[in-house]
Amino acid sequence: MPAAIVGETPSLSTFLKSLKSTDVESSIDLFISLLKRRQIKNSRPCALATAQLLLRVVAATRIRDVQQLIDRISEVGRRLVAAQPREMAVGNIVRRILGVVREVAEEDERDGSLGSGRVSGAASPDPSEARRPFLTKTFSGMSPLGQSVTVPHDFHPRVKTPMIEYTSPPGFDASAEREVKRPVLPSSASYAGLPPVSSLLSLLEDPLARSPIPTPPPGSSPRIQPMGKITESKEKIDVKAEVIDGIKELLDELEVVDNQIAENALDHIHSNEIILTHTSSQTVQKFLMTAARKRKFTVVHAEAYPNNHDETHATIVNGGKKGTGDEEEVDERWKPLTSMGITVILIPDTAVFALMSRINKVILAPHSVLANGSLLAAAGASTIALAAKSHRVPVVVLSGVYKLSPIYPFDTHELIEYGDPGKVVSYEEGEFMDKVDVINPLYDWVDADCVDLYITNLGGCAPSFLYRIVADHYRTEDIDLGGKGSS
Amino acid sequence: MAPKAKKGAQKGKAGEEEREEPLQAVVFADAFETKFSPFTLERPRCLLPLANTPLIEYTLEFLASAGVEEVILYCGNHTDQVEEYLKRSKWTRETAPLALDIIRSDARSVGDAMRDLDQKQLITGDFICVYGDVIANISMQAALWAHRTRREKDKKAIMTMILREAGDAHRTKSRNLRPVFVVDPEAQRCVHYEQLRPRDTPRLDIAEEVLVDHTEVEVREDLIDCGIDICTPEVLAQYTDNFDWQAPRRGFLYGVLKDYETNLLTIHTHITNEGYAARVKNLQAYDAVTRDILSRWTYPLCPDVNLLPDQSYQLHKGNVYMEHGVVLARSSTVKHRSVLGRATSVGAGSVISDSVIGRRCVIGNRVKIQGAYIWDDARIGDDTVIEKAVVAREAVIGQRCHVQAGALISYRVKLADGTAVVGGRKLTRMPTSKTADPEVVGEGGDGHEMEEDDEDELLAESLVSGDIYNLDAARISSDSISTLDSDEEEESLPEHHRRKSGRSESFASINSDESGDARRKAADFHHEATTSIIDALQKGDDADTIQLELQGLKLSSNAEDKQVRRAVATSLMKRLAALVDSGVSPKDAVAKTLLPNKLIIERCVGTGREQYEDQVEFLLYMQNDAMRRQQGAKILLHVCTSLAHNDLVEPEGFEAWWEDARSSSSEELLAVRADTKPLIDVLVDDDDEDEDEDDSE
Repeated sequence: MPAAIVGETPSLSTFLKSLKSTDVESSIDLFISLLKRRQIKNSRPCALATAQLLLRVVAATRIRDVQQLIDRISEVGRRLVAAQPREMAVGNIVRRILGVVREVAEEDERDGSLGSGRVSGAASPDPSEARRPFLTKTFSGMSPLGQSVTVPHDFHPRVKTPMIEYTSPPGFDASAEREVKRPVLPSSASYAGLPPVSSLLSLLEDPLARSPIPTPPPGSSPRIQPMGKITESKEKIDVKAEVIDGIKELLDELEVVDNQIAENALDHIHSNEIILTHTSSQTVQKFLMTAARKRKFTVVHAEAYPNNHDETHATIVNGGKKGTGDEEEVDERWKPLTSMGITVILIPDTAVFALMSRINKVILAPHSVLANGSLLAAAGASTIALAAKSHRVPVVVLSGVYKLSPIYPFDTHELIEYGDPGKVVSYEEGEFMDKVDVINPLYDWVDADCVDLYITNLGGCAPSFLYRIVADHYRTEDIDLGGKGSS
Repeated sequence: MAPKAKKGAQKGKAGEEEREEPLQAVVFADAFETKFSPFTLERPRCLLPLANTPLIEYTLEFLASAGVEEVILYCGNHTDQVEEYLKRSKWTRETAPLALDIIRSDARSVGDAMRDLDQKQLITGDFICVYGDVIANISMQAALWAHRTRREKDKKAIMTMILREAGDAHRTKSRNLRPVFVVDPEAQRCVHYEQLRPRDTPRLDIAEEVLVDHTEVEVREDLIDCGIDICTPEVLAQYTDNFDWQAPRRGFLYGVLKDYETNLLTIHTHITNEGYAARVKNLQAYDAVTRDILSRWTYPLCPDVNLLPDQSYQLHKGNVYMEHGVVLARSSTVKHRSVLGRATSVGAGSVISDSVIGRRCVIGNRVKIQGAYIWDDARIGDDTVIEKAVVAREAVIGQRCHVQAGALISYRVKLADGTAVVGGRKLTRMPTSKTADPEVVGEGGDGHEMEEDDEDELLAESLVSGDIYNLDAARISSDSISTLDSDEEEESLPEHHRRKSGRSESFASINSDESGDARRKAADFHHEATTSIIDALQKGDDADTIQLELQGLKLSSNAEDKQVRRAVATSLMKRLAALVDSGVSPKDAVAKTLLPNKLIIERCVGTGREQYEDQVEFLLYMQNDAMRRQQGAKILLHVCTSLAHNDLVEPEGFEAWWEDARSSSSEELLAVRADTKPLIDVLVDDDDEDEDEDDSE
């Protein structure tokens, strides 16, 4: 492996290594240029790099108040997103981390108000409620963080253990159950459970909610300032450490996401089924491996020529691409599916329609998932999804929550990245390329109605339910990061 | 960045001290040629915008993506502007991924720069060497690795050239010169190198030893050579040892291969068939590479990647890239493969296709722009039509103008309403001393046609590639004379010669027996001889010194008399033309130049010999050269007069010349010698008398 050279081509691993020793600004610039040069690409590496980078950013920022931290993170986030708006994982992670900061801040604030002892119980859900009027949502957005300690108890089960709750029943039931449960309680909390005064007040205060100090408890406005001061002294240790913990949890989540998704495998893959999948994806690979331990089935693998076929071939032959992920992937022993006695059939993308009638289930791995349940995946996915639709074959999409983006696809054309036509037409064909414009889209957009089920690390859910998970994970105030190139 | 180096040390196998050093790169911002005039009169070539991003950005981005940590940038002309630009760019910020070291130098060639580099001791290990106009996205990792493993085994492997496979006709390939690499595929070693001309008899002079030593060789003509080399410090030493090497291919590569027997140094190739690599060598390449960029062949280096921090290009359907804040009238159309910069506005009914338009341009109503390159801040009036032309910064094109394909309109030139600019015109405002030429730019316009001389050669047509090239088939097949002149990498003369078609015949006969090696030597000699003579003439050295130098050169390169003659004729003409251009009358110029240097001419025309062949040749060279000078006919007349007066050329010589078929083989040749007719008549008439007189004396 030609790695140990000085002029090593920058990549995720070199970036992560350099992160430890270079200063923050250089790291940010380096990451931006790596994103631009596409030397870090695809959701997972982007998400990892972003989280690591923001960890450094937070660690290096001297925090005097929370708003500063939020501003700093959003500023960095804006730059990162502008560098490569189509890598939505970057924006997603930035938003998640912003959410962590806000959560910590609110909690801190609540602690302060708890000290004042007057309204705490009733008022505590209030700030977030006020902040997210459209979504009627609660703190559960920060589910992976488990920090919403002061949230009233009845919120907890859904917040902390969605996995446990929803993994055991097959996906559809889970989402259904979830859907039933969800809207009831929060709405009761916001409309029935709260004293009318406080909700009204908070309504009025909504525009001010972006002030440095989280929305104060009702009736305490004159006391805001001193209280803020008092809490700040605590914050200096607190907020930063909490946020860093939060980011670390997020990194943990990124690491275990595949395993969590794979836990659902046995519910979806049954013996003697024929599964169609597309391109190489660690998530799908792990999912199939998990199922293969117990069951025998057949996999038909579309190769995703011309952009991903090398990786696909490598996945089939060796169980994973080599060289790119020498960080944490190395300890994972990647074995090819065939070594577990699974028949794998490699087909070109064009053969998909012909074979579709024999397929029992299509499993796709997206590049990113959009708020309305549609998704972007490697080129060819759209063909597969449409073929599956016309043959009424269920399409299951495996996606970590980090791929789930709050962006709504107004113009799907803009979301698609176009790559090097040299992969389609050889560079040697001088005369041909002189006269013909060849386009090579890297991604396909697949509409929500082509997808039957999403399996996330929180469990399975229907495409129409995704908006809920989005609302759980991202704060409305963070959805627009500023210079967003999405709309 | 230290960390990478450290990591290299940790991860590397034992005993690799040199790996701890950062990877360095040398960039020649100046390619030491003038293919982009008139634009390069005012701006350095590496800052010319390619799809609205300066060329140097692409090069630096390429190096950064290869993991280079230290860049040494050699600037030639306009160093201030390059420095100024880079100072404000992201590359010199503290957060830049690479350390940039800008070196001002007065080097006139890559060879000079290399020697300078060797002296300065800036290079610590192996380095990448590129021109400041390389656009590439090829991965260097494999090449670097191959280079290093080879180096470990064999210290004599001093250089690896990165070559890109491309079929026969690729648009970024040079159409004038085809480099031919003879490669030993097993050792990936380049064993022979030559540059062929299209339609030339493809003949290589491969040394016998090469065929004996290598069981298998590939002769490859399908490679794009974009000058990306991985060099060892040994390369610098070689340049220093051989102070006459100028160009990296024609000089260095050729020299090293030739001296293989003595030095045993080897040069290797890394042939890749993935990724993109091209050099923006001339306008034709500029056009081709821009189209490649817009069609995303250079992915990810496309406009929508926004290399510069302040850019905000987005890709729209049909490879149209637009920045935020572009104002398009509702009835205007922007068709495929176009780029529009920020704050550019396009008026009603205008149609734009295949074009690159900079920032803040104002394009009027009903304008048609097709295949044009319009740089920042240009203004284009209503109803104007612009074909495949370049309109530089702040140029103003009036209403109802017609700029035809191949026209080059430089900075701040102003075209009055209703002006038509024919293809191939080069309009500029440099030098500012010259006043506007209303014939070219119309009443009220500003600018004039660029003064051309050989040094500022550029192919206007080359922008309008393809067809025009082929139309001009005669030019391409016209040949052997031009082989004497040129190496694309360093020479200034080449295209011009071939463009004048038909002239070739006469010279073909003179030089036809030369080929390959001999030709190259001849070209080298010619180049060196002319430069040295012109230098001497400019400095005003006396004839003895010049003669001495010439003699030395002749002996050292084993040149023939006729080459000397040719060199003398060319350089004298060049000097004359320069004088005439600067305002001296042809007569004075001739008097100033020829008389003091009688001795040289005398030596090379061999006065007194019965054979007038020498004189005829000399005159032919003169005539030939005069043909492409301004006022060439005048100069020729005065030269002839002067030669006759001083008895440098006998009347018989003139007569033989006049009657020689080669002197009248083309329209231009006839035209240029027309003025001399009376003189010849007189001379021929007087011939007998002269002889009588001579006898009586």
